[in-house]
Amino acid sequence: MDVTQELETFAAANSTAILERLNPVVTDAGLLAAFDNTPVDAEEYSSNLNPHLLALTLTSTQALIASLFTLPTKSSSSGPITLLPTPATVLPREKPLPKPKPPTKWERFAKAKGISHKKKEKDIWDEEKQDWVPRWGKGGKNREGEDQWLHEVKAGEDADLDPAKTAKNERKTRIAKNEKQHSANVAAASNSSAAAAASSTTGLSQEEKKSKRDLRKNELQRSMLISKTSTASLGRFDEKIQGEPKAKGVKRKFEPTVTDFKGEKSSALDVLKRLESGVGKVKKTKKGSSGEEGGLNVRKAVRFQGKQDRANGARPGDKKARRK
Amino acid sequence: MSMLRTIKPKNARVKRALDKREPQLVENEKTAIFVRGQSTSEVVRNVMKDLYALKRPNAINFSRKNDIHPFEDTSSLEFFANKNDASLFVTGLHSKKRPHDLVLTRMFDGRVLDMIELGVDEFKGMSDFESPKSSVGVRPLMVFHSDLFDTHPTYQQLKSHLLDFYNGHAISEIPLIGGLEHVISITAGPVSDEIQLPKVHFRVYTVKLIGSGSKVPKLQLTEMGPSIDFTVRRIQEADEELLKMSMKRPKIAKSDIEKGLGKKKKNIETDQMGDKIGKIHLAKQDLGKMQGRKMKGLKLGKKTKSQTGETEGNVNGGGDI
Repeated sequence: MDVTQELETFAAANSTAILERLNPVVTDAGLLAAFDNTPVDAEEYSSNLNPHLLALTLTSTQALIASLFTLPTKSSSSGPITLLPTPATVLPREKPLPKPKPPTKWERFAKAKGISHKKKEKDIWDEEKQDWVPRWGKGGKNREGEDQWLHEVKAGEDADLDPAKTAKNERKTRIAKNEKQHSANVAAASNSSAAAAASSTTGLSQEEKKSKRDLRKNELQRSMLISKTSTASLGRFDEKIQGEPKAKGVKRKFEPTVTDFKGEKSSALDVLKRLESGVGKVKKTKKGSSGEEGGLNVRKAVRFQGKQDRANGARPGDKKARRK
Repeated sequence: MSMLRTIKPKNARVKRALDKREPQLVENEKTAIFVRGQSTSEVVRNVMKDLYALKRPNAINFSRKNDIHPFEDTSSLEFFANKNDASLFVTGLHSKKRPHDLVLTRMFDGRVLDMIELGVDEFKGMSDFESPKSSVGVRPLMVFHSDLFDTHPTYQQLKSHLLDFYNGHAISEIPLIGGLEHVISITAGPVSDEIQLPKVHFRVYTVKLIGSGSKVPKLQLTEMGPSIDFTVRRIQEADEELLKMSMKRPKIAKSDIEKGLGKKKKNIETDQMGDKIGKIHLAKQDLGKMQGRKMKGLKLGKKTKSQTGETEGNVNGGGDI
């Protein structure tokens, strides 16, 4: 080792180059960074820039090192490793937070019905072979019926039935069905994510504009239908306009097959409750009760009176005279 | 985004690679692209070379010229970002109006988040300093001096940019001895009446820790380069909405972070023979409750059980007194 180098080391170890700072140096150990918020001395800066920068760096780095060496450590085969805290300075991410995967149709159904997920092992126990065999794939349990040398044919089945082929066909259709369901789930997920993306962006996106236009169009068509049927003949003799919307009947609405379990339960209980309490039953108005006019239905009474008058050959002239 | 066709993975390897590019809960380190504009000066090229050397291995150097003017049109930057899965850009330019120009760009979600333009006034490269250099991929320490980095919005953005560039990826652990090699020092000059936006001095020193007798060692700094003096030119601030989105942090349980979020498996290791070795921690067995041999003769009757209980209690009580 060179003597000059040793001398340098000695000088550094005993250096007093650390500057006095007005504000203490702020350290962010999580990012291995230190911030010295004291304004830079203008005189030193203009007279000898580089030595001053070195002194500043030494000061702040020393503070950073001091904070780093007080952190907890853990031992490893290659020496102690310092555990860093989470950074105090927040820096922007590279990409947005991942969106949770939208549930598949089955997952939605399972949740509504309270079915919990059961993890299937890839291998299952084969009693005959006394060994673990894969559930699917090469030599899988699901193609057991396809590679048997002897098949049991039940009585009454076709003579030219090929059980191996039927089993294979069944398996293939199961695969096809699953793929179809999968692609439907993927499509639904991409639709929902696209809609979410459209709504999250500021300003109107192409899709938003389209949906707004559709909304306005529907509104116009509805009002047009109403105006057309507002004539005395309910629009029967009106001239047809080109591209006129067809009046559609009210469609019956059904509850979806898959609903929230709680909702289903409460609606069923509701029916029972209504039966019990007798909601919807025609209530008999009691005399002297707090109904209309102390139990008397005035409108009904007037109507009844009018009918009776007419039956008795009421004279309209009389009525008029009375009114005058 | 629209410029790139969407790739449908044809095999599992491609799918894994594409999945890695999807938004992650805990992100990977940001990659920087160093790209030259149509005309560059030698100074700018050298600055970029040295900044690239400091950023390696998470950096891509484009060797060709590209017709890029980040403040006018960002489409090609967005294209490069998507193609390379990178989110930091250093664009080198040189013109009569803005000599030795360097544009730092940050991306979020494939779009430009913010930009800052720096002019190089003085430059001394890494090769001009005859000193040992830091190794590739070692994380630098970063120190900022001046109150401007705390108060002035332009300098705040510059601080955030530079921190993000070299130290943005938070790490959970570091070996202090042997893991610290260099420090990047950034200093803004003092503000005066003539100078509203003072120069920014970028210096890099190698750090040598010297035992001082106490727990905290002393330091020896040697300049290793590059040494760059910047002036701050144009600036494009981040869109508020975009910035807000980029600052969102995931809610992760601390125990999950410690476990490495499924990336690291605890207590499982593979030895040199390729055998998997697991470590199991068991509590110390309580031998006092161990069941000995059962014999009819050793069975305690109901009476004797209660009697022994009493006597034991008495003994204990006596002991206490």
